[in-house]
Amino acid sequence: MKRIWWEQIKGVIRLELKKTFFAKRGLWIYAVALMPVMIFIAYSIVNSTQIHRSASIARRGEKALTYQDLQAVKNGMVKEEVISRLGKAPVVFHWNEHVGSGSDRHVVTHDEYHYSDGANDLYVSLVDGRVANVRLDDGYNMGRDSIMFAGVFQFFFLRLAVFFGCLGIFMNLFRGEVLDRSLHFYFLAPVRREVLVAGKFIAGLLATSVIFVSSELLQHVAFLWHLSPAVRDLYLYHNHGLENALAYLGVTVLACVGYGAFFLVAGMLFKNPIIPTAVILVWEWIDPFLPALLKQFSVIYYLKALCPVNIPVPPGMPPLLAMLISNSDPVSAPLAITGLLVVAAIALYASSLQVRRMEINYTTE
Amino acid sequence: MNDRIILEDVSKFYGDILGVNRVNLSIPPGITSLVGPNGSGKTTLMNVITGLIRPTRGRVEVLGYKTNDPENLFKIVGYSTQFDAFPKGLTGLQFIYSYLRLTGMDANQAQQLAARAIERVNLAEAAHRVIAGYSKGMRQRIRLAQALAHNPKVLILDEPLNGLDPLARAEMIALFRSAAADGCYVIISSHILHEVDVISDQVILMSNGYVVAEGAIQSVRNEISEHPTQILIRCNRPRELAAKVLASDHASEISIHKDERGLLLKTRSADDFYLALNKIALDGIEIESVAPADDDVLSVYEYLIGSEEVVR
Repeated sequence: MKRIWWEQIKGVIRLELKKTFFAKRGLWIYAVALMPVMIFIAYSIVNSTQIHRSASIARRGEKALTYQDLQAVKNGMVKEEVISRLGKAPVVFHWNEHVGSGSDRHVVTHDEYHYSDGANDLYVSLVDGRVANVRLDDGYNMGRDSIMFAGVFQFFFLRLAVFFGCLGIFMNLFRGEVLDRSLHFYFLAPVRREVLVAGKFIAGLLATSVIFVSSELLQHVAFLWHLSPAVRDLYLYHNHGLENALAYLGVTVLACVGYGAFFLVAGMLFKNPIIPTAVILVWEWIDPFLPALLKQFSVIYYLKALCPVNIPVPPGMPPLLAMLISNSDPVSAPLAITGLLVVAAIALYASSLQVRRMEINYTTE
Repeated sequence: MNDRIILEDVSKFYGDILGVNRVNLSIPPGITSLVGPNGSGKTTLMNVITGLIRPTRGRVEVLGYKTNDPENLFKIVGYSTQFDAFPKGLTGLQFIYSYLRLTGMDANQAQQLAARAIERVNLAEAAHRVIAGYSKGMRQRIRLAQALAHNPKVLILDEPLNGLDPLARAEMIALFRSAAADGCYVIISSHILHEVDVISDQVILMSNGYVVAEGAIQSVRNEISEHPTQILIRCNRPRELAAKVLASDHASEISIHKDERGLLLKTRSADDFYLALNKIALDGIEIESVAPADDDVLSVYEYLIGSEEVVR
């Protein structure tokens, strides 16, 4: 690459970043990027409250209980048996129920016991002094939460937040300038049109990467914030947590590359952004149902293959929904990265052809 | 030819609407004015010359550069458009500086040239203000500064005097003259004829997308044979002079001024008349001044297009 091209690209980036980061019409992108962060903050608050509550109940119990103690309680046991195993319940709800009428009228006693081992909660329902129902709520489960994080990442963050964020930024790189009637500023400079495309694409990529990688980082912080340092270390350094976090960041950047390239060319080819957006959105969502060859022209096909945590299909899920979740035809990571970059390169090539044909029609005459 | 701006059989259609049609031009250095009423195709022609729009047909070259090669074209071309939109949030200085950085200049050089360009258009005091707060005239001047900033060989200026006060107009006209004197190609469009009449080395008259005449204003005038040239003479004995001119058969019509200090005559051969006048003047008539009365752009335009289209 000529040195002057790189200088010109830097010039374009300087102008575009200022516009992109501080544009009023782009504020919604920050909101979209922050939504998953808010989800995980809310989740952390709920989880943290739950953990504190469980710990408090465990402390108030007569005995220090284990998970096995909690599992030992079965239906049909009598109250005394429960108390002898677990001690007096730290939280008790008691009420009487009057049933029948006339001479048949009698009182049924109800007791609800709540035990905890500090992490897991046991709810025991007793009717007339006998266990009628047992519910054991597992406390914090890192494996389950990792899958939940993967679900939010794949189905909300990638397919909606990053998708629409890239739409808002990349689609406006040229289309927005045409609407603002300011594209002539670039077209009057001694800059190759292809260099202009490269500069604008890199600027868009930097902007979306900064916004969505920051969002992804904050999501991890929010996701792990409520955990104790020991659990956090266990997750990050012994359960691939750090590797997964880095993989998610990489996938986020690649999503910006892929969707960015698509929306850049769409912004040049179409006056109305709704049509290409709808087409690309539908194309991305029906990816699991596409033939193998066509799948290779969707961004999500490669991104799914790069996501570090696979989402298991819950039993009993309808087959169509199960296909959306499962990654039935995964490609290897190197192939996925190469494939996505090739697809983006094709889109950028189309952009460079289109930009050479672009005209500015002044209507002042 | 690498020393001209060449347009060969250039046409531009916007769908069914004609922009310009069959334009053939060879524009030399100096100040060239594109004159015509609104909608005559001036801006379209300028946009075609600068590659902002592609001609439907024909070939355009600017000093040997193709218009689909902006990387090289805009090293030698500066274009001040009529378009009143700027990148958001920039001050005047930042606007010019950013433009110069796009050319690949380093920061120091861009800073110096930007400051100089802003001084040349007398906007130094407003250089650090955001363009959105500029008046119409200031925005016109900042566009001129952008066109001038990288010292281009070709300056294309679309209605550059619009929105300027008389003092600023005079300053800008001096600037254009100075650029032309330095060997630049200055192309100015205007729909106000007297505005460019005094500064143009050549004019291109446009109407409805066609070039109806081009060249130095006098030579254009001389080509319009159906309209005799009008000459205004101030002298001490106009009636006597009128009789002698009529006798010499060089004038088709003569009218005496009301103040009895001059006459207006029409002739189909101005050169022959001027030779004859030299002889007549030897007979003791004191001639104060002799000046063509209708070789200005306005008259030429009226003759070519018809007075209904002329904007004064």
